[in-house]
Amino acid sequence: MNLPNLTSADFLPLLPAIILVVGACILLLSEVFLSAHSSRGYQAVLSTATSVIAGAVSLTLLTEPARAVFLGFGAMDPFSSFLTFTVCVSLALASLTAAGFLRKRGAERGEFYALMLFAGAGMSLLGLSNELITLFVNVEVLSIATYALTSYLRRGTRPSEAGFKYFILGAFSSAVLLYGSALLYGATGTTLLSDMSGPLRAAMANNNGALVYAGAVLVAAGFSFKVAAVPFHMWTPDVYEGAPTPVTALMSAGVKAAAFVALVRVFISVGSGIDAQLPFAIFSTLALLTMVAGNLLAIPQRNVKRMLAYSSIAHAGYLLLGVAALFVSAPGQEFKLLGPTALIGASPEDVARVDALRGILYYLLAYTFTAVGAFGVVSLLERREDEEKGTAWDLERFSGLAQRRPGWAFAMAAFMLSLAGIPPTIGFIGKLILFRAAVDAGLVGLTIIAVLSSAAGAYYYLRVVVYMYMRPVPEGAHTLERSWMTELALVVSTVAVVLLGILPGPLTEWIAQAGTLFTR
Amino acid sequence: MNPTLDPNPLAPYLPLAIALLLAGVLSLIIVKLAAALGPKRPSSIKSAPFEAGSESSGPARQRFAVKFYVVALLFIVFDVEAVFLYPWAVNFQALGWFGYVEMLVFAATLVVGLIYIWKKGALEWEH
Repeated sequence: MNLPNLTSADFLPLLPAIILVVGACILLLSEVFLSAHSSRGYQAVLSTATSVIAGAVSLTLLTEPARAVFLGFGAMDPFSSFLTFTVCVSLALASLTAAGFLRKRGAERGEFYALMLFAGAGMSLLGLSNELITLFVNVEVLSIATYALTSYLRRGTRPSEAGFKYFILGAFSSAVLLYGSALLYGATGTTLLSDMSGPLRAAMANNNGALVYAGAVLVAAGFSFKVAAVPFHMWTPDVYEGAPTPVTALMSAGVKAAAFVALVRVFISVGSGIDAQLPFAIFSTLALLTMVAGNLLAIPQRNVKRMLAYSSIAHAGYLLLGVAALFVSAPGQEFKLLGPTALIGASPEDVARVDALRGILYYLLAYTFTAVGAFGVVSLLERREDEEKGTAWDLERFSGLAQRRPGWAFAMAAFMLSLAGIPPTIGFIGKLILFRAAVDAGLVGLTIIAVLSSAAGAYYYLRVVVYMYMRPVPEGAHTLERSWMTELALVVSTVAVVLLGILPGPLTEWIAQAGTLFTR
Repeated sequence: MNPTLDPNPLAPYLPLAIALLLAGVLSLIIVKLAAALGPKRPSSIKSAPFEAGSESSGPARQRFAVKFYVVALLFIVFDVEAVFLYPWAVNFQALGWFGYVEMLVFAATLVVGLIYIWKKGALEWEH
């Protein structure tokens, strides 16, 4: 029997995920052994510490050379390490937010944090997956943990509705993804993405193109559900609204980032086998629909949590613009992605392609800091009693916040400016890099639409700022409970949003490395 | 993997398809023949739905205690563990120490789960 020769170099990229899983197991065991006679305050600390350690490890992995691990089933590259870092940032901030959120409801349990860490491990492994079945299993690992988290607060109709909707549509989209993978396997005879380009070309030459196209379109549709791209976004507002706010934060940041990274990996392999016209057509259409619809649907929302849900759809649209920019190429031209070292003297399209990849990564991290922070403020303002009535997240809640809690109001204002893409925030730099890459790739028309729709978005983001700073405190407003852990998350996010908006240099350098993707 | 594929990869499955078709047609013929030739003397007891030999009582759509589902879920988890243990046991010699350690890690993860459900009280039938 031929045994695979696995070395420690194969296990190195798994290290962050292993740390997260060990942390989750410790949380599960301490929950059942300690909690009867002690407070559960340590759980959020433990969960945050685990995420921070895993995040630090993933940063050290950023300098590792790109290579295949586990016989090509995984790809160890700076691209995936950077995703793991982004995921760990969102996990740490969401854990801190959850500390205040769960204590207010008396719902602190180790299982909550354990499920978040399991989901995080799934996201990290999804970024590494370079094989269709591994990819699918990791999509399920992260999805199933998120389904359970969505209906974690199971009293009341909203969490049940959200959990049920998310489960049904999530399972459906997983099935679509799996069907597409099966068709791609049927056309090529391999599930290894790095081996796919040759058989794909052979399949196209042997008149099996229909199978390849159907498989690629189904896989794209499956991922579009996960990243909430229009027209596959229907579940997003209800699920984001009904889920516990820290979970919504994790879904909008970590889950989306992992799905985007997996999508890019799959389609770079598929695109190198068939010409890149098909992925380009799919993603430019999705980007157009998602940017415009997300922003227009967010405008009438008075419910801030729902507004943030539509805003996350709009941001998925900007990211899809970056994905479309990856696949710009002349008809008949062979599609390939160069490493940064091969860029000297490369054609402008090749340079724009790598810039778009970096832009996507930068935007994902920028959106993570901003969105998790914004959901953190929302979680501080809401009360359990108002949830069934649906008034827990009304804009009125933000009236006069600047007088009552100036710190929270300042943080929320920074997040709103960042989401709108106004300097000096990280959101501005993210949009700048992403849109410039799209223009360099020749997508001028789409980029104009992106800029116009994000200008329309400024209306609903700034409305929150207007309520906080220019409206009087409403009569009979309930007291605002503080939570030092949630406030710590706000401080970290605000500092990151503002500081990296003024000094983007260090992060841009990291990302310059992280634009390296293992392809063959 | 060989990149050049058999032009018709489904060809080896043709005998299987024929067997499936024959099985379907044959069972259809037998059932229809029995229905056409057999004597029919229906009575109320005979045409009642068969429910483990005892008389049926009430509709089938009623609420079940959630503990049944918990037991079913736990059964599947540990059943699947056993499924993974078999191929490892068959290849025990070939997999050597590496496989042994891998399997220990796998089992340890499940033991954590077992301790968790035990302490959580999921194995208690009467609460």
